[in-house]
Amino acid sequence: MGARKRPADSARVAALADLTGETLRLWRESMGWDVPRMARELRKVARDSGEDVAAHHGLVKMIPQWERGNRAPRERYRLLYQQVFADALGDLSKGMALGTDAALRLAEVRSRAARLPGADEIKALEDAALAQPRDTMTPAEIRALAADAIAHLQEVSDELAVLSALLGSDDAGEDNP
Amino acid sequence: MRARDDEIKRVLAELDVHIGEVEAGVAALKQLMAGDEVPGGEGSDPTPH
Repeated sequence: MGARKRPADSARVAALADLTGETLRLWRESMGWDVPRMARELRKVARDSGEDVAAHHGLVKMIPQWERGNRAPRERYRLLYQQVFADALGDLSKGMALGTDAALRLAEVRSRAARLPGADEIKALEDAALAQPRDTMTPAEIRALAADAIAHLQEVSDELAVLSALLGSDDAGEDNP
Repeated sequence: MRARDDEIKRVLAELDVHIGEVEAGVAALKQLMAGDEVPGGEGSDPTPH
């Protein structure tokens, strides 16, 4: 039995049809998932919608092939991908209203931001760098480098808050009749 | 709606820049920690001696 299509599904498939394997890989990695986890997530969504999909080991083989672009996932799997990421990322699905490119950028930016060290770690790096005499950088320059990184880190935090507010105001943005 | 979408795209672009600056700063500090000199420091003299 196939999945029952909602009216928006055809538009979603159209948006996903041009997804490259690289996009699928970036999406998966932005969630911190390995291939077996991705397979489990796809099967979980399929199970919830009462749909039959390939066995776990079959998906574990197919996912890398899709990501390498050796073969394209069929419509059924593209819809499952959309459902997985809509469920997992929540507001990313709202970002997808902007287009696949913006949604991908959103996932990538969040992934990069999550990997940034904290201000304390940057200060520790500064202290360690200051402990060793340098020919090319003075202590003042090293301090300035660290302060600059911390200032940008604060900007990242502020912009992420703005982004969350924007994504959270999906309906509020249309309150002007 | 369009203004909101544009704003999201603007914030994403800003984030890209700021994250890049943090990544570059941290990479430079790690290089210094590892004992490598960081080229292009304000105190460095790019001309050959």
